[in-house]
Amino acid sequence: MEKLNSIPREQVSDLVDDHLADDVCAQAFEAILGDGEALQTWHTYQVIGDVLRSAELAPTRSDLAFWERLQCKLEDEPARPVVKEVEEFPSVDTSLASANASVFRWKMAAGVASFAFVGVVGMSLWAQSDQFRGTQMAAQAVVAPSAPVALVAADTSSGTMLRDARLDELMAAHRQLGGHSALQVPAGFMRNATYEGPAR
Amino acid sequence: MLVGWVMAMCGLLAQAPVLAQSVATESSLNAWLLRVHQAARQSVYTGTFVVSSSGGMASARIWHVCDGTEQLERVESLSGTPRAIFRNNDQVVTFFPQSRIAVAEVRESLGLFPNLLKSNDSAIGNFYQLKALGNERIAGFDADVFQLVPKDQLRYGYRVWNEKRTGLIIQLQTLDLNGRVLEQSAFSELQLGAVINVAKLSRSGNTDGYRVVRPDLQKTTAEAQGWTLQRAVDGFKPMGCYQRGAVVQSGSEGSAQSTMQWVFSDGVATVSLFVEAFDARRHAREGATDMGGATRTLTRRIDNWWATAVGEVPLVTLSAFTQALERKK
Repeated sequence: MEKLNSIPREQVSDLVDDHLADDVCAQAFEAILGDGEALQTWHTYQVIGDVLRSAELAPTRSDLAFWERLQCKLEDEPARPVVKEVEEFPSVDTSLASANASVFRWKMAAGVASFAFVGVVGMSLWAQSDQFRGTQMAAQAVVAPSAPVALVAADTSSGTMLRDARLDELMAAHRQLGGHSALQVPAGFMRNATYEGPAR
Repeated sequence: MLVGWVMAMCGLLAQAPVLAQSVATESSLNAWLLRVHQAARQSVYTGTFVVSSSGGMASARIWHVCDGTEQLERVESLSGTPRAIFRNNDQVVTFFPQSRIAVAEVRESLGLFPNLLKSNDSAIGNFYQLKALGNERIAGFDADVFQLVPKDQLRYGYRVWNEKRTGLIIQLQTLDLNGRVLEQSAFSELQLGAVINVAKLSRSGNTDGYRVVRPDLQKTTAEAQGWTLQRAVDGFKPMGCYQRGAVVQSGSEGSAQSTMQWVFSDGVATVSLFVEAFDARRHAREGATDMGGATRTLTRRIDNWWATAVGEVPLVTLSAFTQALERKK
């Protein structure tokens, strides 16, 4: 019973829905009986199936009445005040540093520290021998695409971001061709060259 | 020979004129932009460049030499995947020492400026105002601080620190509509007028021992691809349109569909409009995605197509692009 993850959840679902061939079905049962978590999942799916099929457990008249009352209540609620769009561009006091500028000063300090730490790499990186020859296709132009949809959440100081591998590829392509800026040389180019897309 | 002009440039740097402290007119904006550009073309420097944002931080070691026409630059990553980017004018080669792959490409955009300013339809001054903010000391250098303030809400602002003698940008912040810093690019350490071994720098562009890969990128037009913009987005002009083949979809899971990349710029900010065939397997989520930093993305399905706008602009601008995009055939 201690054995976990012996069977994919999809297969448990297929078993509950009777979508498995007989021989696979027998194997699946065997796997479930030896896996406490799988057994719990199977039970949960059975309960879900029962709820979906049960007339008694379907929304009752009282439930529907509740939703109707809630709907009426919501309609009676005063409309939320609409935030008026700023007509004029907000005049930021340009003589002051941005509120979050100090964060970037700390990051800059971290950058200096990281350089001090890895500075010895220097040009030696360039002369690395073939011992590191690997299979990594790291070039932005040959970035391997992700699985169909790959979203990864990452915590940042500004909240949760979503990482989408395809978007990372497009951002890399944008950095490659999107330098039509008066600030492109040197800042833009170096920014794009320094920045590494998470996909790479 | 290069060593000679590098040393000569070091001498010229000492005689560079001092930047005016107060600029406000469009002509002075253009003059400032030209000076920034010239400073980059005529300065010899080496340093550590740090890009930081809420999405993370990246740093690189930079070597840059030039003689006003010939530019040699090497950018070596200090974070993330080991890589080195070698630039000779608009020719860019990215080396990946671990995989021994070199990606060679031409960055046409690098040659556009200052023609971008000299053309009659230059309109940077219509959409940005330049303000002088005073002086500050950055990376050991005295700097003049300027702010490019957008005149509408379709673009971000920029705070720029120019090295006082040369005008070289040593720090650049991208500011959102509330003046908060979205991203910062800066030298944490800089040696202006450094003596750089040019021969060694030139050799670092040699691709011997590397498999050279060239991006599958074809020039095209939006019209030829069957697309148009119903309404232009204020200030943004089309800069080029490309068809990408296996460049961004080269793996076993990717489809063989090509992707159109239509590039727009207002002279400072750039937007890429990507359009590819809709694939329900891969294209599940429409809308904006916060990837951190100044670059924003917005995705929208248009019938059987999937459009993604990417750019260093507010979401409202990306939305204007995706809403205006129309299939013509």
